[in-house]
Amino acid sequence: MELYEFPAYHLVEMIKRREVSATEVLESTLNRIAKVDGIPGKIEQEEGTDQQPDRIHAFITLTADRARQQAQAIDHAVVSGEEVGPLAGVPFTVKDIFCVTGTPSTAASRILANFTAPYSATPAERLEAAGGVLLGKVNLDEFTYGSSNESSAFKPFPRNPWNTARVTGGSSGGSAAAVAAGEGALSLGTDTAGSIRQPAAFCGVVGMKPTYGRVSRYGLIAFGSSLDCPGPLARNVTDAALMLQVIAGADRHDATAANLPVENYVAMLEDNIRGLRVGISPDYFRITYPDPETGELHQESLSPEIETAALRAAGRLAEMGADIVDDIPMPHTRYGIPAYFVISRVEAASNLHRFDGVKYGYRTPDAVEDLNEMYRKTRGQAFGVQPKLRILMGMYVSAAQYSEQYYNRALRVRTLIRKDFDDIFDPNGKYRLDALLAPTTPTTAFPIGDVYGDSVLMQYADQLTVPANHAGLPAISLPCGYDKEGLPIGFQLIGPDFCEATLLRLGRAYELATENDAWREIKPAI
Amino acid sequence: MTEYEAIIGLETHIQLNTTTKIFCSCKADSWNDPPNTNICPVCCGLPGVLPVLNKTVVEKAVLLAAAMNTEIQPISYFDRKNYFYPDLPKGYQISQYDRPLARGGYLELPMPEGYIRRINIHKLHIEEDAGKTKNDYGRRLIDFNRCGVPLVEMVTGPDLRSADEAAQYLIRLRQLLRWLGISEADMEKAHLRCDANVSIRPKGADYLNPKTEIKNVNSITAVRDAIQTEIERQIHEVEAGNGILAWTLEWDEDSGILRKMRSKETEADYRYFREPDLLPIRLEQAWLEEILSSLPELPLARRQRFIHQYNLPEYDADILTGERSLSDYFENAVITYGSDPKRVSNWLMNDILRMVNERGIPAGELKLTANYLADIIKLVDSNVINTSTGKSLLEKVEQSGKSPQQIVEEEGLAKVNDQDAIRMVCTEVLAEAPDQVKSYKSGKAGLMGWFVGQVMKKMRGKADPQLAKAILEELLAK
Amino acid sequence: MTEEITPETFEHLVHLAALELNAEEAQYLRRQLNNQLKAIHELEAIPLPDEVAITSHGVPYTPSITPPIRNDEWLPNSDTKSILSQAPDTDEGYIVVPDIPHTDLD
Repeated sequence: MELYEFPAYHLVEMIKRREVSATEVLESTLNRIAKVDGIPGKIEQEEGTDQQPDRIHAFITLTADRARQQAQAIDHAVVSGEEVGPLAGVPFTVKDIFCVTGTPSTAASRILANFTAPYSATPAERLEAAGGVLLGKVNLDEFTYGSSNESSAFKPFPRNPWNTARVTGGSSGGSAAAVAAGEGALSLGTDTAGSIRQPAAFCGVVGMKPTYGRVSRYGLIAFGSSLDCPGPLARNVTDAALMLQVIAGADRHDATAANLPVENYVAMLEDNIRGLRVGISPDYFRITYPDPETGELHQESLSPEIETAALRAAGRLAEMGADIVDDIPMPHTRYGIPAYFVISRVEAASNLHRFDGVKYGYRTPDAVEDLNEMYRKTRGQAFGVQPKLRILMGMYVSAAQYSEQYYNRALRVRTLIRKDFDDIFDPNGKYRLDALLAPTTPTTAFPIGDVYGDSVLMQYADQLTVPANHAGLPAISLPCGYDKEGLPIGFQLIGPDFCEATLLRLGRAYELATENDAWREIKPAI
Repeated sequence: MTEYEAIIGLETHIQLNTTTKIFCSCKADSWNDPPNTNICPVCCGLPGVLPVLNKTVVEKAVLLAAAMNTEIQPISYFDRKNYFYPDLPKGYQISQYDRPLARGGYLELPMPEGYIRRINIHKLHIEEDAGKTKNDYGRRLIDFNRCGVPLVEMVTGPDLRSADEAAQYLIRLRQLLRWLGISEADMEKAHLRCDANVSIRPKGADYLNPKTEIKNVNSITAVRDAIQTEIERQIHEVEAGNGILAWTLEWDEDSGILRKMRSKETEADYRYFREPDLLPIRLEQAWLEEILSSLPELPLARRQRFIHQYNLPEYDADILTGERSLSDYFENAVITYGSDPKRVSNWLMNDILRMVNERGIPAGELKLTANYLADIIKLVDSNVINTSTGKSLLEKVEQSGKSPQQIVEEEGLAKVNDQDAIRMVCTEVLAEAPDQVKSYKSGKAGLMGWFVGQVMKKMRGKADPQLAKAILEELLAK
Repeated sequence: MTEEITPETFEHLVHLAALELNAEEAQYLRRQLNNQLKAIHELEAIPLPDEVAITSHGVPYTPSITPPIRNDEWLPNSDTKSILSQAPDTDEGYIVVPDIPHTDLD
C-alpha cells in the first residue's frame, strides 16, 4: 500500500512514531495528484472539458509549497519531541467555497476568480492548527449550486474516479473525487441539500453532514445560510470522526454555532450498538420526479439495486445488534425539494447581493455610463447560469406580494418536515429511533451531460438528502457496494440533533460488519 | 381664509456610543480616521463572513426603549433589507422589520408656551449603519469605516403640529440620549439624523393629505427652518389650487431652499426576510431587569420633581435638568448644604454653569465637587468669608483641587473678627487722612463709607465691615 | 399551460437583480424558472393548519446551546490593506466606483 492510500488515523500514528515523515506522506500524495488529477480547473478553459477525459480534475488550486512548509514544520516538531495536533501530517483538501488566508477562494465562479482571501474559515483554520497539511482547494458546482459539478466555471470540472464518464455528484464533487482517488485522506466539504452525502455516495466515500450549528460556518461562502453545514469527507468512518472532532465546536465568529461541548467521537466509535433502534421508512424508498414535458410529479419505487443495497446494510447493522424498525412514516419527505426550491433561493439571492464589482472579485472591463451599468455588466458577465437562476427565483418568491404565498409557506412546510423527525426520534414516542436508515441518492452517478441543463431534474437528485438539511439534523453517508455498472452505492443514517457520535458508531459498526466483504477490496480504476 | 395646521412625523436614526460596531469587533467611532482603516472582513462584507451581535447595543437600545415608554418585546428578530448601494457592502442591511425590539411608546413634550404635546412612537429597532460615499468628479469614493456602526431607528406618529414642535422634539430627544449616556447625539457628526414627513390640512380636519419627505437635515435649526419653509410652500400651493405631490426633498442649508430629489413612487421592495445568520434577541427577565436597574430618573420627571420638591422656578428647573451631570451636581450640593435649594441654584446657574461651559466638561468632573460648593456657601453664610471671597474660592478650589477650608486656612482668607487688629488699622487709616477726618467731623457723614473702604483695602478684604464701621464711629466720636 | 413568469415579469426580475443577460440565456432562464415554479406549487397541496409556525432554523436554539452574546470589546484589525487590495479600483484609501445616476429631477 502506498502512503497516499493510508487512512488519516493511521498516518498520524506512523508520523508520531516517526515511522514515516509528514513530508514523505505529502510527497506520495503530491505524486498521486500529479499522476491522476491532470490539469487543474481554470476559468479560461471554456473548451477544456473534453481534454484529459481520463483524469479527475479535482483541483482548482494546488498549494504544494504551503503544504511542504506545513509538513516540514510537523516533521520538525516530531523530531524535537514537541506536541503535535490530532491531524499531524495528514494531507487534506478544502472545497473552494471556503476562504483560506492567502489562497484564491473562488467558489468556482468567474466573479471570484481573482479573489484572494485575507482571512480563513474557522473549520479550515482548525484543520491546519491540528497539524493538517493543506494540499489545495478543490472544485465544486459554481457557488455550490448543483449536484454534478458540471456548473463550475473552472474547467475541466471533476470526473468520477470510478468512471470518468460519470459525474462526481455535487456540489462537493472535487472533495469526494479527491478523497476517492487518493488525493488527500480528508476533504472539507459543505452540505446544503446533500452536497456532502450525494457526491460521497457517487464516489464511494464516507461523507458527513453534521447538525446545523455543530461546525462554524464562518468563512464558508454562503448559499442557504439556514441550511449550510461544513463537514468531513473521508475514506472511512474513523477518519471522518477524527476530522469532525477537530472542526466542530463553538466559534466566536458564528452566532449560530452551538455552544455545546464536542464529544470524543473517536473514543466512542467502537462502543456497542446493541439495542440502538434504526428505522426504515417507505417514504425514503420511493422517488418523486417531475415529468419533463408537463412538470407533473410522478412517484415511483427506487431502482432495485439501490433498494437492496440499503436494506442489506440494515441487515448488517441488525447482525451487529441494532434493532431495525420498519414502516416508519415520514409523510412530508416529498415536500423537501419544493420547499428547498423556495428557501434556498431566497437566501442565495440575498447572499449573492454582495458580488457587485465594488470591493472584490470581478468588475466588468467594459466602459460604463454609471454605477448601475457597472452592476449589471459585472453580474451578467461573471455569474454563470446557475447563480443567475437562483437569484431570479429568490427575487421572485421573496417579493413582498409573494412572500406569504411562497417563502413563509415553505418555512411552515419545513416545520412539518422537522416534525416528522421529532416524532420518530422522540424518546417517549412511538418509534424512539436512534437513527433513520435510507438510501443516500435515488440513482448512482449519472453520465456527464445527462441531467445538466434541466435544473428541476438536477435538484431532484437531492430529494433523499434535503430533509435532514431542512430539519438541521446530522446525517452520514456510507458506501455499501456497487451497482452492476461498478458504480458505488451509498446509504445514509440520519440522527437526532447533535447525535453525531451515535451515527459514527453505527457507521463504524457497519464497517466492521462488512470489512471482509469482497466489495470492500474494490478500488477505483483510475 | 382657511387656517391650516401642519402634520409632521419624524424618523430619527440614533448612533449608539458603544465601543465596537454592532456585528464585529472594530471600534464604532472612526471620526477623523483615514478612509477604510477601521474595517475588518465582517463589516466589509467579505465572502463567508457572519455577523455577531454586540451585547451593549441591545442594552443601550433597551434603555432608550424604556425611556420612551415603549413595550419592550421579550423576543425580537433581525431581518435583511436587500438593496444595491456601494456603501452597503453585503448588498443588504441587517435591520429589524416586523418583530422589532420595541413597539408603541411616547415622549411628552413640554412646550415653552406652556402646553404639553404627546408624541407617539410607532416602533423602535436596531440596525447597522452603512459606509460613506462622496462625489469626486464623475466617480464615487467609498469609505467603509462607518459600516456596522450601531443605530437605533425610531419613528414617530404624525403627531407634531409645527416646526417648533419638531425642533423641540429633537432638543428633548438629544437631551434624553445624552442623559441616558447611550449616544453623543451630535447632529453635526450625524450621531442623530432626522428625516421629516410633512403635510398640511385645514385646522380641525381629521384626514391626512399627501406628505413630502425632507431628507438630510443635520442640525436642529435646519430641521426647524426646512419644515417651516415646506409648510409655507404647501400652504402656498394649496391656496393656489395646486395639489401636493409626494416628493422627496433635500434641504440646502446654505441657501435655505428645498430641492426635489425624485418622485416617490411605490415603496421600493426590499424583500425583507429573517436574517438566518443571527438568532433572535431574547430579553430574558433577569437580563431585562439588570439593564433597567441602570435606568436613571429621566430629565422631564426630574424637572417636575425639582419644581415641587425644591420649590425651584421652572426656569431654574429646566436649566438644572438640561444635562444629567449638572442636575446630579445640583442635587448633591443641595443635600450637603441642607437647606434653601434656590440659594444653591443661584450659585450653580451663575457660577458653576459658567465654569462648566468654559472648561467643556460635565459638572461631575469638576474638581470643585458639589460638596465643596456647599461648603463654600456655608462659609459665606456663617460669616467666615464674605461673598466675594466665596466666589474667588470657586476658581481656587477648581484649580488646586484642595478643600475650601484648607485654602481659607492656608491663605488666611477668613474674615478678621479681632477687635484689636481692626482697631489698629482703623487708627492708622484715620491718622493718614486728617483732611477727611476734618470734613467728617464738620458734617460729611457720607465719608464713613470711604473710611471703611480704606480699612478693607488695608486688610485685603478680610475685615468684618460692620465691626470696622463701629470702631471707626467710636474713634471719630472722640 | 400558462406561464407564471411572463417576459414582462422576467424583465422586471432581471432589472431588480442587476443582471445583464443575452437573449439565449434569458430564454433558458425563464423556462427553467417556470419549470421550477411548477414543482414549487406542490407546496400548495399541503394542508397547513394555522398553528404551524415557520421554522427559521431546523435545530431549535434552546438557551443551553445558544452562544453567549458578544461583549463590547475592541479587537483591532491591523491588516486592512489585504482587504482593500482586493478592490478593483482604489484611490488614496478609498474604493472607487463609477458615478451614481443623478436623482435630482430639476
